[in-house]
Amino acid sequence: MRNSYKYVALSLLLAAAFIFSSCQQSGSNNSGALSSSAAERSFVPPGEHDEFYAFVSGGFSGQLAVYGLPSGRLFKVIPVFSVDAEKAWGFNEETKAMLQTSHGFIPWGDSHHPDISQTKGKLDGRWVFINENNTPRIARISLSTFETDEIIEIPNSAGNHSSSFVTENTEYVVAGTRFSVPIPQRDMSIADYKGNFKGALSFIKVDPKNGHMNIEFQVLMPGFDYDLSHPGRGKSHGWFFFSTYNTEEANTLMEVNASQNDKDFIAAVNWKKAEEYIKAGKFKTMPANYAHNIYDESTHTATTTMKKEVRVLDSSELPGLVYFMPTPKSPHGCDVDPSGEYIVGSGKLAAALTVHSFSKMEKAIADKNFSGEAYGIPILSFDATLAGTVEQPGLGPLHTEFDGKGNAYTTFFISSEVVKWKLGTWEVVDRKPTYYSVGHLMIPGGNSREPYGKYVVAMNKITKDRYLPTGPEVTQSAQLYDISGEKMELILDFPTIGEPHYAAGCPADLIKPNSKKFYRLEDNNHPYATKSESKTKVVREGRDVHIYMTMIRSHFAPDNIEGIKVGDRVYFHVTNLEQDYDVPHGISMIGANTSELLIMPGQTETFVWQPTKVGVWPFYCTDFCSALHQEMQGYVRVSPRNSNIKLSWTLDGE
Amino acid sequence: MKKSQILMIVGSLLLLPLFVLPLWNISLEAPQYPTALGIDIYITKMADHNEGDIQNINILNHYVGMQKLPEKMKEFELFPIVIIVMTILGVIFGFIGNKKLFLTWFVLIGILGCIGMYDFYLWEYDYGHNLNPKAAIKFPGTAYQPPLIGTKEILNFKAHSYPMSGGYIMFIGIFMTLGAYFVARKENSG
Amino acid sequence: MKSLTIVFLAIALIFSACGPGDQQPGSADNYGENTPKGQASVVDDESAKNILQIAAGSPDHTTLVAAVQAAEIEHVLVNAGPLTVFAPNNAAFTALPEGTVETLLKPENKKQLAFILTNHAAPSTYKGRLLKDGRKIYMASGEYIKIKRDGDDIFIGDAKILGTIDASNGVIHVVDKVLVPSKK
Repeated sequence: MRNSYKYVALSLLLAAAFIFSSCQQSGSNNSGALSSSAAERSFVPPGEHDEFYAFVSGGFSGQLAVYGLPSGRLFKVIPVFSVDAEKAWGFNEETKAMLQTSHGFIPWGDSHHPDISQTKGKLDGRWVFINENNTPRIARISLSTFETDEIIEIPNSAGNHSSSFVTENTEYVVAGTRFSVPIPQRDMSIADYKGNFKGALSFIKVDPKNGHMNIEFQVLMPGFDYDLSHPGRGKSHGWFFFSTYNTEEANTLMEVNASQNDKDFIAAVNWKKAEEYIKAGKFKTMPANYAHNIYDESTHTATTTMKKEVRVLDSSELPGLVYFMPTPKSPHGCDVDPSGEYIVGSGKLAAALTVHSFSKMEKAIADKNFSGEAYGIPILSFDATLAGTVEQPGLGPLHTEFDGKGNAYTTFFISSEVVKWKLGTWEVVDRKPTYYSVGHLMIPGGNSREPYGKYVVAMNKITKDRYLPTGPEVTQSAQLYDISGEKMELILDFPTIGEPHYAAGCPADLIKPNSKKFYRLEDNNHPYATKSESKTKVVREGRDVHIYMTMIRSHFAPDNIEGIKVGDRVYFHVTNLEQDYDVPHGISMIGANTSELLIMPGQTETFVWQPTKVGVWPFYCTDFCSALHQEMQGYVRVSPRNSNIKLSWTLDGE
Repeated sequence: MKKSQILMIVGSLLLLPLFVLPLWNISLEAPQYPTALGIDIYITKMADHNEGDIQNINILNHYVGMQKLPEKMKEFELFPIVIIVMTILGVIFGFIGNKKLFLTWFVLIGILGCIGMYDFYLWEYDYGHNLNPKAAIKFPGTAYQPPLIGTKEILNFKAHSYPMSGGYIMFIGIFMTLGAYFVARKENSG
Repeated sequence: MKSLTIVFLAIALIFSACGPGDQQPGSADNYGENTPKGQASVVDDESAKNILQIAAGSPDHTTLVAAVQAAEIEHVLVNAGPLTVFAPNNAAFTALPEGTVETLLKPENKKQLAFILTNHAAPSTYKGRLLKDGRKIYMASGEYIKIKRDGDDIFIGDAKILGTIDASNGVIHVVDKVLVPSKK
């Protein structure tokens, strides 16, 4: 009797186990490739690191935000084109030069398209480039310091939008003008736009050692709008593709007048040919005036050089340099697949996606299969380059990225969705809504020969009711989809800074080991660096007073200064003597008309204070640095102009 | 040359790596220092285990009134002489090949070692107890002396004190000389 | 006694096996279901009315709205746009051959219905003098339809514009005919 109980019990348990496991299986089939929940898949436990870095454009904030994927956690906002009082970017004496342009100091910019440097078509994690749209500029950001190292202004350009994309060995970072303008700039009637305005495509050489940029040449193009671009890769390496709109060359009410032509173009630029023309001396040297700003990591200081000329190649006079591929209805995105064979044109008003074939393009050029010409540039026959079309995929196609497994993912602004389709067969495989009105999307390495096709990030322009409301201005957002399975799955939704125009993703392992921990004091070549407390001093030069100050846990040296007079210009040159990871100090002075300084270990920064009132004025450390942070403070005595108090400085009475 | 003589000579020569390899290491571990801060003690100097460690230890210690780690010590002048003399002596003894001399050398280095450890203890005691009366943070009755050997909790830090490569090689060398004595005894009796 | 407990445990296990665990409340698929109509699910009574809200409030456009719902393209009409929508009134639908509307509203014809509806919407705001005689308007379906002016009357294709209503995200022209695409 007892035994039979046991048998029954055992068999019931077995049955239970079976049912339990089979239920789980069917559950996992329903939810796609992975059985874990969405929350689990985007969860990175406290103390653990994300798998990818995502560098997300800050759009009209002018900055670049660093996030982790899949968690969507924000790590840093790198100041690039806009001043940042938090980090003294554009406020301290060292970085003001970074925001210099031919129009003078500009405190704001509109950042758009980050792109990570590549070697042999693969991400190398050395630098990220990003363009400024409004006052055309390209910035290079170091991925060891996560600081903006260099900004170069682009002459003959306006609305620097089809930028800043790199070729597969980072030979060039490329910048194309969105607005055509008179070149050179002059006083003329806007109504005379057609035929007189020109567009410039700039090829900026990148020094493989230090990343320094130099405008190698510009290709002068007809007066269209150059919207986006991408490099050829693999077999199409040596070519660069630009989408165009406003081939109508309209100059007013563009929303209607630039949408009249049935087809605009994707311009294929042969930059290897351009190099030959440069070598053969077929360029014109044009006078220009543009700023080149470099931040030197050893002096912790930026300098501006005004460049005075640029080499120009005229596309209408140089055969074989540029060809036009007709592409329906104002193409926006212009994306090249990992093999380099397919060039996807997203006619933003078109009902279908147009895909061109690079090998067919080469053949059409060889066969001279032209359907006409525009300003001396051959127009290839539409059918001759067409690889295929994705029919009725959605409304308002914008951008496409690739997963490296033969699939493409395209965003649709009007129908607000991401659509997955197959390269070669052009069939739609899956579609998922976005919330709402998606612009760009990003797959880490999606603009390279080797994408990491695990996630796609969709960047939305509109969020309406998606988050807690914050008055009329609400956040824009990014949405993370798991694309490891056949169907895409939305697993996370997170707010972004500014407008997330575009992003560049990179496996963390390519960047993390190179991230700098602090600056070595012995390598600090700042002209006002003070490398030990014994060398601190205060020097008067007429009305200018230079304070050579140091900071270390938890005091300034000197911290009592007397002999300053109303009307002096007081330079605080402050060196952080710490040589320890994550021990920055800050400093701010009551009434100083500038930002705080936030100084990393081993770094020197300078702010200027012009005291206007007699009194004793305190300064203090602004970054909670240590247990005695609240004690990290000092005083400056300001005497009347005619006072004869002598200049003196002390620490602890010495 | 006999086996015991080779052991004796090689054993005493193994003191020489101390000129390039650290003898000892003290390291401090805390949650905010996932990579421990460490001091490598050589016979001639104290050095950073990782770049900046000594400066960072000094900065942390100054809050409780501890002195800076010394850059100069009389020991750093004395130790190299002792090591050189003992090595030369060991090699000479080795060539002579007298087992009693082997044992003498072993005992002598043992005594010197004990004196060295006692000296190290005295320094540690002073370093951990001789505090600046103006220190910002005071914990009455707390001493910050690192352990002579082993691991000890000091406030929020875990202090470890252990020999390093140079020290281990030295110990091997010393015990080789003791081995030389026993081998020599066997050789003689055989 | 012990074995009895095991029996009960086993039974409990069987019943719980296909319980809540199977539903995966946090799974990805559910995220989209909160807002099945995308942006059209946004509740907002304060803002100026968009194209969908205006159409939904018009007694003359019940067929059109039913068609939009059947095609599940509501979110397109609430998009930032700007869009120009040529909205056939109920009479225009009635004028179609008998049974056409009923057939199109069937779920299996969703795709064709959506295609026909997109033939009534164009990107950007075409109104007033922008509706120039002879101008071809590029519809979201991919087809072009010509504007004709005849005195004060404006036609899009064969359809006459009966009235114009401004919407927050574009403009609605009420028309008296359905704009059937030339290709099916």
